[in-house]
Amino acid sequence: MRLIITILMVLAGLTLMAVSYFRLAAPWCATSVSCSDPTLPWAASLVVLGILIAISASIFYTVYRGDE
Amino acid sequence: MTAEAMTKRELPQGVGTLTPGWLGFFAVAIIVVLTGLLAYANQLNQGLVVTGLRDLGTVRGAPWSLYVAFDVYFVGVSFAGISTAALIRLFNIEKLKSVARMAELLTVVALLLAALAIMADLGQPLRGIVNLFRYGRPQSPFFGTFALVIAGYLFASLAYLYITSRQDAARLAERPSRLRGLYRVWATGYEDTPAQRHRDRHVTFWLALAILPLLITAHSSLGFVFGLQVGRPGWFGSLQAPAFVVMAGVSGIGHLIILAALVRSALRADRRINLDVFAWLGRLLLVLVFTYLYFTVVEVLTTIYQASAAEQGLSDALLTGRYAWIFWGSIATLLAAAAVLGWMTLTRFWSVGWSVFAGIFVNVAAVGKRYLIVVPSQTHGQLLPYGTGSYSPTWVEFVIIAGLFALGALMIGGFMKIFPIMPMEEGE
Repeated sequence: MRLIITILMVLAGLTLMAVSYFRLAAPWCATSVSCSDPTLPWAASLVVLGILIAISASIFYTVYRGDE
Repeated sequence: MTAEAMTKRELPQGVGTLTPGWLGFFAVAIIVVLTGLLAYANQLNQGLVVTGLRDLGTVRGAPWSLYVAFDVYFVGVSFAGISTAALIRLFNIEKLKSVARMAELLTVVALLLAALAIMADLGQPLRGIVNLFRYGRPQSPFFGTFALVIAGYLFASLAYLYITSRQDAARLAERPSRLRGLYRVWATGYEDTPAQRHRDRHVTFWLALAILPLLITAHSSLGFVFGLQVGRPGWFGSLQAPAFVVMAGVSGIGHLIILAALVRSALRADRRINLDVFAWLGRLLLVLVFTYLYFTVVEVLTTIYQASAAEQGLSDALLTGRYAWIFWGSIATLLAAAAVLGWMTLTRFWSVGWSVFAGIFVNVAAVGKRYLIVVPSQTHGQLLPYGTGSYSPTWVEFVIIAGLFALGALMIGGFMKIFPIMPMEEGE
């Protein structure tokens, strides 16, 4: 269970980072003003949230006591 | 040793005890921090006009200056801390294990100071933070720096510090002291079983493996903040990112040497922080100093060989003009440090005093080089037909920077009084 949840946390964090980076944040273009606006406001904070979830997996792995 | 005898022992490494010397240190540090806070309150109240920061172009100033230079410097110091700690775990370098925790702590403190330095640079800090997360473009090196350095890197370092200190927290929680409650929370039910130790080794290995590429990316993205600005002579270039990483290593290892010497002296830990520690760190520092000197020579030769007029003007300002004393001063201090470290490497005679000398000198050079990266390209690196600018820091900036250094000292000193700065030994 410990390992499964840890892997899920890492995958969830990486997925959130990837989705918010490539789909929700400002698009990869420089042809108009709309390229500067994020598709979803606060998408940048979702990238950070993804990083925090992925790193938190390490704390969960060592602190979780359910298997014992 | 019986369980009863274990619980009767004092906390190790001077934790929980305040001598007159420590009280004096805290008093001085708090006074400097408060003075810095007053200067910052003055800046917040009256605006950035109380600093030497001015707009580019017609105002002929520099909007990025001492604060940004020290932001880059503090981020650089953070590099060596966690990279050293990660390398110790990955390669199981026994001789450096006594400085692993102080390296982790150095990273956390330096990153917090870097964040505060950049906050000091903003006229409206709250607006800056909110808009960064609301409208930030993840493709931008600015966002990359904040997301990777402040969020990812700081959080990863805190996680690393926490995981590697739980065992000691559990040991300390067994002893009666005023800090026992804190240690219980810190340990979060840690039980020193073989399975738990195996898990800790496992997770710190993988975390270290994840941190190393993260920190290379983070420091490179900070280099890209400057290196991708095509309209700014002196900044645009592919060497910025690797040079940032190497200089970060130089200043960070230098700081770690100084901190290790201070802890060795304060705790009389000659046995644990022995000359082997300084020899390892010194040799690593020597390699990084030579690498950085090589980058500097390549950069200067490229600039003076067949530069554009704007690049030439900037190069003249650096090599023979207004900023020459900082440039050559930084090179001289780097060479002096390299000479001392090289001599100790060749003779295999390592001295704590000379190692600290090298650590101080490389940090003086790092501050100088960071200042030269940030300021001259704004005052002398104009592609548009504006006149040459100037920048002189005011007392407000100096006092705020001094306050940041004092805050860093206070955090490290404070940590030493609530938790062992060196991993506890069996039976300690």
